[in-house]
Amino acid sequence: MERLGGFGSNRVASNVIPVLFGLLGVVITNVPISAFGSWIPAPMYALMPVYYWCLVRPDLMTPGWAFLIGFIHDIVSGEPPGLWAASFVATYAIIDKQRDAFAGLSGFGAILGFATATLVACSAHYVIFSLYHWHLMPVTGSIKEFAVTSILYIPVVVVLAYMHRRFVGPLRSEF
Amino acid sequence: MGNGSWKISRSRGRAHLPLTVVAVLAIFLVLLGKAQSSLFDRARTGVIDWMQPALEASRTPMETMGRWMGSIGNIFWVYQENLKLKEENARLKQWHNTAQVLTERLKRYQLLLNAVPDPALSSVVARVIGRANHPFLQTMILDAGKSHGAKPGQAVVDQRGMIGRVYLTGEHTSWVILLTDLNSRIPVSIEPNTDQAIMSGDNSPMPLIETLARGVELKPDSQVVTSGDGDILPAGIPIGVIVKDGSHYRVALFADQTTAQDVEIVDFKQKPEHPPSVGQQELPVTAAGLAPAAPQPQAATSQVMPVPPPVYKPPLPPGQKPAVVPQQGPANAPVNNAEPGDQ
Repeated sequence: MERLGGFGSNRVASNVIPVLFGLLGVVITNVPISAFGSWIPAPMYALMPVYYWCLVRPDLMTPGWAFLIGFIHDIVSGEPPGLWAASFVATYAIIDKQRDAFAGLSGFGAILGFATATLVACSAHYVIFSLYHWHLMPVTGSIKEFAVTSILYIPVVVVLAYMHRRFVGPLRSEF
Repeated sequence: MGNGSWKISRSRGRAHLPLTVVAVLAIFLVLLGKAQSSLFDRARTGVIDWMQPALEASRTPMETMGRWMGSIGNIFWVYQENLKLKEENARLKQWHNTAQVLTERLKRYQLLLNAVPDPALSSVVARVIGRANHPFLQTMILDAGKSHGAKPGQAVVDQRGMIGRVYLTGEHTSWVILLTDLNSRIPVSIEPNTDQAIMSGDNSPMPLIETLARGVELKPDSQVVTSGDGDILPAGIPIGVIVKDGSHYRVALFADQTTAQDVEIVDFKQKPEHPPSVGQQELPVTAAGLAPAAPQPQAATSQVMPVPPPVYKPPLPPGQKPAVVPQQGPANAPVNNAEPGDQ
């Protein structure tokens, strides 16, 4: 399980980078200033590292970490506990099942791949929230959230890819 | 950008929780949260208290960036905006003078009528350090908590009107549920007829007016204020104006929840109101010229002894023993007004 690139001996630091980025996404999603105002909901930044490292390094982004990031998202955002955690786990399950299909995508296809994962997360959240409150919610907010998250993945994935190449790296066993 | 350019790992290691276990855990967590909604409140406030420095640190650059992005578009409209603001300022000055005159007149009327003054309000100024803008949730985090006197239920207002209510307080932070949130319910009064209603959020920018009395027709642009029912919120806090929406009425809020940065937490200390004590002459029977009914025998009324009202006993001078009062109660009732040395 040795890996290439990154800090060399400082394996722990590079191993926690995916989770740290997930937690950073939670914080950024809940900062008080929104460039889009109230018209568009905050993007789900936390889903981006979960999706990215679930594809390229699932040993670092495990279902447990996805659950924990979702749970902290629930805690920080003030939602009932478990809603985003369950949505993230459901998304993780889909990515895990279709990893070959998702990982084979490139360019615009990669964005579509993430959009599919976002659609799963938003749909799961919508369904769980509606069941939780036993009230059918308006879908407009979820559609906006899906759209803005998918679009903002384009700049964020560049940062994630740089961090992966520079600090995390692939597994040695894959070469 | 493509993911295909990287080799993917299939190994997830051995020491990790399997997906099925995590999924079951997530479902259990949802059910647990539904059954005990306040179970994670302490954890939530603890996490936010812990994250407060990070949230405050991230606030400044984001605020600068937001202001910078907003100012790009404003550059082209500065002249028109300036003219509009001057006109609005002149109009507001007129209203300010009118408000001052009316306030003085109201004070005089209250003095003449010996009216009960409004309860004193104090407030804590707090900054918004977090704002959850999610599809089904609209909350704020403020940097004032229990240590600053913030308590659940208090109203949060900005310069224009009410924004929401505090629903959870940590040591240094508070959570505010916004008026537009799905879980928000506020008793309101609609002027000029002071029609009572409940304003409920539905995640749209304009909350809905509910439980309005049958047949009441509201006029658009009627002002909506808090009614103060239930002694939870002070009465008269401006909220917004009525807007007709099909067969429903909605409230266009005065306060802009998305741009509010500095807010006030209003501390409302309404003293509990007790009914005045009724004298013998004020009983309806006595007032009608009839003799009051004779007290019924103890055994016929109830087997339960009524609790006597607390009586203030002045402190005895040193050396003087209290007089023993014969008890009217049951024989086995303890007599507590004798000093231990007397027995």
